[in-house]
Amino acid sequence: MPVPYILRRLWHALIVLAVVCVVTFIVVRLAPGGPSLLADPNLGTVERAAIAERLGLNDSVPEQFAKFAAGVVRGDLGTSFLYGTPTLQVIGQRLPNTLLLAGTALLVTVLVAVPLGLMCGLRPNSLLDRLLSTVSLVFVAVPVFWFALMLIILFAVVLRVLPAGGMNAPGMEGNLLDSLRHLILPTLVLASATIAEVLRYTRSSARTAAMQDYVRTAKAKGVGPLRLQYKHILKNALLPVLTAIGLQLPRLVGGAAVTETIFAWPGMGRLSVEAALGRDYPLILAITLVVALAVVLFNLLVDLLYPVVDPRVRTEA
Amino acid sequence: MRKALLALGVALAVTGASAQSNVLKLPLINDPIMNPLVAPDLGSILVNKVIFPGLVRPNEDLQPEPDLAASWRVTNNGLTYTFNLRQNVKWHDGQPFTADDVVFTFKTIINPQSGSRLVSDFNSIKDVVAVNRNTVRFTLSKPFAPFLILLGHNAGIVPKHLLEGKDLNNYNAFNRQMPIGTGPYKVSRVVPGASITLVPNPDYYGAKPKLDGITFRVVPDINTQVAQLRSGELDWVNVEPFNLAALQNDPNVRIKQADAVQHFLVFFNLKNPLFKDAKVRQAMQYAVNRKAIIEGVLRGYADYPVGTIPTALRAYFNKSIKPVQFDPNRALQILAQAGWKRNAQGTLVNAKGEPFKFSLMVDRGNPTREQAALAVQQDLKRIGMDVTLQTLEFGTLVRDFLLTGKYDANLIWWTTAPDPDQYSYYATGQSNNQAFYSNSQADELLRRGRETTSLAARKIIYTNLQRLELTDPPVLVLWYPKELQAIRRNLTGVPDLGIRDALRHSEKFDLR
Repeated sequence: MPVPYILRRLWHALIVLAVVCVVTFIVVRLAPGGPSLLADPNLGTVERAAIAERLGLNDSVPEQFAKFAAGVVRGDLGTSFLYGTPTLQVIGQRLPNTLLLAGTALLVTVLVAVPLGLMCGLRPNSLLDRLLSTVSLVFVAVPVFWFALMLIILFAVVLRVLPAGGMNAPGMEGNLLDSLRHLILPTLVLASATIAEVLRYTRSSARTAAMQDYVRTAKAKGVGPLRLQYKHILKNALLPVLTAIGLQLPRLVGGAAVTETIFAWPGMGRLSVEAALGRDYPLILAITLVVALAVVLFNLLVDLLYPVVDPRVRTEA
Repeated sequence: MRKALLALGVALAVTGASAQSNVLKLPLINDPIMNPLVAPDLGSILVNKVIFPGLVRPNEDLQPEPDLAASWRVTNNGLTYTFNLRQNVKWHDGQPFTADDVVFTFKTIINPQSGSRLVSDFNSIKDVVAVNRNTVRFTLSKPFAPFLILLGHNAGIVPKHLLEGKDLNNYNAFNRQMPIGTGPYKVSRVVPGASITLVPNPDYYGAKPKLDGITFRVVPDINTQVAQLRSGELDWVNVEPFNLAALQNDPNVRIKQADAVQHFLVFFNLKNPLFKDAKVRQAMQYAVNRKAIIEGVLRGYADYPVGTIPTALRAYFNKSIKPVQFDPNRALQILAQAGWKRNAQGTLVNAKGEPFKFSLMVDRGNPTREQAALAVQQDLKRIGMDVTLQTLEFGTLVRDFLLTGKYDANLIWWTTAPDPDQYSYYATGQSNNQAFYSNSQADELLRRGRETTSLAARKIIYTNLQRLELTDPPVLVLWYPKELQAIRRNLTGVPDLGIRDALRHSEKFDLR
């Protein structure tokens, strides 16, 4: 892949991030309400004035933006109102937890959805295909919080085999088996929706690939069914699947808010809910920028992976 | 493969069973700030009650009993408070606790530049000095009856040797990771976003703590909190009436009611001419079926109101005063006296034919409050008022509407210290008086109430206030809530108090 292409992509990424910065700043300030630190009606006027001064809310909005933008250029995304710590430090504490959950969910998604999707695509309208189509439709439609609560009630309250939430039982931090137990339910919930989507993508992609002329030609030339499926169909079907998985990644990193809140999982999704409800302006901006960066990088990664999977893209690039 | 899976399953099950049994597990909805001077939310306040004792703490009658102070004297007509501190008290880091720490704490609190959130509670303090290593003297600018109660409320004492010269709001090494107090339990581990683990403090000055520890677990969702209570991952969850159904049949959980020093109410913006006439507010007390709200929405877990002093303040609430009962016809009679009559369509109109029309705001997401607001709206509609219900996120409601005075009416609540002083809420021009209520008689009673130290005299003052509020209600008080504590049955030693005050006695808790 030529270096100028990558540089061009990185330059585009920078522009995207700058636009995200400005738009988020404006949107966040247009939202009603204000920092929750000030929203306590019990606060006296003296305390309220002191807090507003400390948070820098007495500056004009353009002044606040100028300060924020200058900080971003220096790599300083501000100090969280709620935590009193640099926002990047707060995110740094939560990001690994999200990566663990999202990574596991993604792994499960790929391991389950891709083979099942291929099987369905290769045997359309079989019993398995019809069954999985229905099940995946259900999982796309079911609200995450409801599904999560049902799992908690079944496995934690009734059967008592798995914990209802958290990353570890208190005092068991670092215990791998304990972490595994805590990982099971949130992974199931988070993966259920992505499995359903990736499965449907893979199915239709395999279906399309199976109907191509070259497959018929190969079949006519006497290529065996296994070789046909894995050498000819699978390889060609994987390209759109890669895009589908790439699309899931940012959603897993930034959008697991409901799952993380219900399972008390200390990750980025829950942090973003906290930041939004608390109107923690610097933290909202920092999270948005980090997620935007993740989206841009994932897209870049997927673009870079394309030529590896499909030699035709290599020549085009 | 099958064997490996089986082994993993067994290992997972065993890991789950090895949790400690004598550690109390309580929920929080977010990471706390473990510094009582700047704690912004209930969760932080709860954790701080365990770590940072105050000079006094409330007993089961909500009266102050000694804590870090062994005894005290009030002299100079209630202007001077002298506290003899306990001797040989140590901070969690082993340093000795002295009068200088108390002086530092209160000098910091009353300095608005410090960023403390307790300035208004203690602005009556003129001076605080260390008479000697174990004696502290406060001089007040004028007599202030709630002073002692407030000392036992949120004002935990903080260490001078660690906080002097520090920016209180941003000192995260202390506030977030390793707070140092003098309480029965001390912080041993903080996992951001997940838990705060406390272990017994071997140097604690009071009775030996009975638990092996207390863990505050961050569980933001109330449904998950209830599920964790049922699965034994939490031991105590404060619930709302709508959660009760999920807990009814659990033999391991009992529901305990505690008096809450709160009153739920509808605020009227008295700058709006609609509500200016006291008769209109008086009529609304008859028009709204508060008994039905208490029974239907709150499942009976609330007391019927008379004015703004809740029943939890047993020493002051006068039971002999007859509350206003639901009587829509009486409401219409009083409204007629105020110039509002129903027209042919049943709409309440004034002499000019203008309808009685306003919007009632309520915060979004809490079924209890949303249903109560709906009930209020329906009751007022029945007597011909045109009431629109508007639901808003709480922060928006407070900041954009309540504080700016851009509202007609809203359903909200006040949580106060366990004292009847409500000067800042209902006296003319005070900072929490966002209803803009003004009544010279009430002003006088509220002022005398906070400046009178004799309990008997205060009782009379607040009885008069209760009576006055029947004819000129500052707000429409809807109910005095009960705090619903869902507690696992093996938790014992919890005093009969709301969780905030009960946690001041955490050394008595036990799990058996």
